[in-house]
Amino acid sequence: MNFMALIKLTIPVMMGYIPLGMAFGLLLSKLLIPWYYALFMSVFIFAGSGQFLALTLFASQATILEIGIATFLLNLRHTFYGLSMISTFKEFSWKKHYLIFGLTDETFALLKTSDVPADNREKAYLWITFLNQCYWIIGSVVGAILGNIVPFNYEGIEFSLTALFVVLSIELYKKNKLHKPFFVALIIGLFGMVIFPPQKMLILSLCLAAFVLIVFKRSMESGK
Amino acid sequence: MESSYLIGGIIIATCATYATRIIPFLWFRTREPSALIKYIELNMPVMIMVILVFYALKDVKWESYPYGIAELIGVAVAIGLHIKFKNALLSIFLATLVYMVLIQKIL
Repeated sequence: MNFMALIKLTIPVMMGYIPLGMAFGLLLSKLLIPWYYALFMSVFIFAGSGQFLALTLFASQATILEIGIATFLLNLRHTFYGLSMISTFKEFSWKKHYLIFGLTDETFALLKTSDVPADNREKAYLWITFLNQCYWIIGSVVGAILGNIVPFNYEGIEFSLTALFVVLSIELYKKNKLHKPFFVALIIGLFGMVIFPPQKMLILSLCLAAFVLIVFKRSMESGK
Repeated sequence: MESSYLIGGIIIATCATYATRIIPFLWFRTREPSALIKYIELNMPVMIMVILVFYALKDVKWESYPYGIAELIGVAVAIGLHIKFKNALLSIFLATLVYMVLIQKIL
C-alpha cells in the first residue's frame, strides 16, 4: 500500500478527529488549562472519550485514583478490540506495542477492514495508527490554541465517524462467513441505545454481544 | 489547576487506557488461543462495528424536534451509496455533507 492510499484510507478518520480534537482542545482551554496539556494528553493517552472524561474529572477535582478507575472502566471496551487482533499482531515485531497503544475505536475499525497484503501489513498498520494519532494531536492542539477563532462552520462534521462505522459495518458483514452476528448486533445496539445509560451504553452492549455470541455459538454457526 | 495534579492525572489516565488495550495480548502471550477465542476473534468485529454505529447515535434526542431526522437521513445516505457504489470515501463524504447541510441550513 503506498502512502497516498494510506492517506485516502484515513481521510474519514481525519474528518472526525480534527474537529473532535478541536472540541477537546477548546474545552481544555475553557478550563484554563495551558494548551501544551492538550498536546501531552493526545500524545500519551490518545483516547477520544477518555480525554473528554479526564477533563470533566479535572474540572470537578476528582482524585487521581478516581481518574484511573473511571478511565479504565470507560476504555474497557478496547479489550474486545485487542481480542480481535491477537493473531494478526502476533507475527509483528516489537513495534506492535505502538499498535496496541493506538487501538482506538476508529483505528481498530480501519485496521480490521483494510485489505493489506500480509508482507507489508505491519508497516501499513503502523502508518494508519500514526496518521490517526497525528490528526487527533493536530486537532486538539489547534483547538486549545485558537478554537474560538475558526471562521469555518464545521458543525456536524463529526458525523463522518458515524458514517465510517456504518460503511465498515457493511464491509464486515460482507466479509464475515457467518451473517447472524451482524443481525444480533443490530438488535443489541438498538436495545442498548434505548435502554442503557448513554455513558455505559458501549461497554454494556459489547458485553451483551460477547455473551450472546458465546452462549448461542451453535445457533450462530447453524444455517448462514 | 496545579500542574502536579494535571500531570498525575494524565499519567494515570495514560496507564489506565493502555492497560485496557494490552490486557488481551498479555493474557494470550503464553497461552494458545482456544477454538472459542478464535471464534470470538472472527465474529466479534462485525458486532463491535454495528454497536459503534448505535453508540455514535446515543446522544440523539429522538423524542423532540427534529427527532433525529438528520442522523437517520445521514445513515440512510451512507448505506445507500455504499451498497450502490462500494466506495467508502464517497459514501462517508457525501453522507457527512448531507448531514451538515441538514443541521446547519434546514432543520
